[in-house]
Amino acid sequence: MKRLFGRYRQYQQLPPEEVSRELIARRDEQRAREVVFVPELDLARTAWHEPPHPEAVNAATFALRRRMNAYPDPGAREVRELAAARHGVEPAQVAVGHGAAELLQEACAELLTGGGELLVAWPGWRPLPELAQRAGGTAVPVSVDDGIGSLADRVGADTRAVALCSPNDPTGATVARADVRALCERVGERVWVLLDEAFADFLEPGEDSAGLVAELPNLLVFRTFAKAHAMAGFRIGYVLAPAELAERLTPSFSVNAPAQAAAAWALELGDPVVAGRRAAAAHERDRLGRALQGTSLSFAPSAAPFVWLSSDTHDAEAIAAHLRIRRIAVAPGERWGDDRHVRITLRDSAATDRLIAALRELS
Amino acid sequence: MARNDPTDTGGLFIGRRPGTARVHYADEPDPGTRSRQRTDRMLAVFVLFVETLVCLTLWGPQPAAWLWVGSQVDYHTDSVSLGIVVAFGGMIASLMLTLALLVRLDSIWKVVRRAGGIDQRDGALGRIFMVTAIVAVLVFGFWFLIIEGPGPSLAPQ
Repeated sequence: MKRLFGRYRQYQQLPPEEVSRELIARRDEQRAREVVFVPELDLARTAWHEPPHPEAVNAATFALRRRMNAYPDPGAREVRELAAARHGVEPAQVAVGHGAAELLQEACAELLTGGGELLVAWPGWRPLPELAQRAGGTAVPVSVDDGIGSLADRVGADTRAVALCSPNDPTGATVARADVRALCERVGERVWVLLDEAFADFLEPGEDSAGLVAELPNLLVFRTFAKAHAMAGFRIGYVLAPAELAERLTPSFSVNAPAQAAAAWALELGDPVVAGRRAAAAHERDRLGRALQGTSLSFAPSAAPFVWLSSDTHDAEAIAAHLRIRRIAVAPGERWGDDRHVRITLRDSAATDRLIAALRELS
Repeated sequence: MARNDPTDTGGLFIGRRPGTARVHYADEPDPGTRSRQRTDRMLAVFVLFVETLVCLTLWGPQPAAWLWVGSQVDYHTDSVSLGIVVAFGGMIASLMLTLALLVRLDSIWKVVRRAGGIDQRDGALGRIFMVTAIVAVLVFGFWFLIIEGPGPSLAPQ
């Protein structure tokens, strides 16, 4: 009889509290086995470290639940109108695509067909030379240590376009609006200026150059929701360009409906969230700057949520290796052909504390 | 503390989707032989049948029995009120006892089904209760309206 009931007893479900107790015990046992657990800190990537604002996710979820059986708006009309109103251009001058990177790729394909040079302010956004080559063009890195006028000086008969970032990835340096205007005027209407403003939301309002698209016929400005809006997973961005070119840059197949909905929310109501992230990034940057004063480490002024750090005593590989041992990942400058600098993304206060402690050991 | 309430996470489910938790046992059960599992599945059908019968008694036999008891109390004490109190009190008491018994039977059914090799997560009591109630209403309605109801009085004299 005992055996008979024993068979059925083994199929009795454990009550939830017992299951939790078991899981908690297993977790405690696992923690006890790890002598010192130091989680990896990824400061090599530039996407915002926190999730998107819940309201942006709600907007996307609402779009998902609404009518996913239908195709999304092919022209992303709402996002285009909101972006146009924000930057003071016509909606026809906005093309919404699957992220700024894809739009840059499309622009390269469009402008470099049949060859031609793309002058790239260097160090700059790393995939740009590859995008130019893939489009059949030639990427020519140009140092802009002496200002972006160097780009205009380098323009030749084969030059089709020049590309630069503001704030620049990886240095964080910004290009003033007046300098962008001067560059566009100097290179002439024959040469396109591709301005990647992926991190422009970290600039104070009015410091970006997007509005110049309304005045300058050879300027393209690329914006993304991946950075300050923390929506990298949505793959959505837009480009401001002359209307005819904007139409050609629009993807053949539309951006998905949840991404459009989240982007529309971000453009319409996301400013306070972005302002908070901008302030947080500036705060962490200032903290790091103050902590490194008087050490052999330093970084140039940056407007982005990362710094381009160098040392008087160590090269980039040594800095990266030192941090790697402490489970902190950074982007070494070798990726840009620079063996003195590393790009370090700033996250929250706890991450900066860990970074400062690790860097102090180095200096 | 992880927050997995969708209203806290912008409509997203963090972690496991609700309702998809596996059944946790104290130890990995020994499934037994195939014939044993077949026997358990048949046993589960029998338990379900008993559960259904017990549930059906709620909708006819038990109330009828307590009304009879009430009538007897009324007859012997000459008190209608006492008869009503006994009848309804008895009905509620036996309802509670029957429900407790049904819950036990349902647990037994789930366990026997699992022993029969079926990943049985929920019981069948809710559905049985609803189905037997519908059956009882239909049977009562037929008896009340057709057999004992206005039918005979409306028939031509």
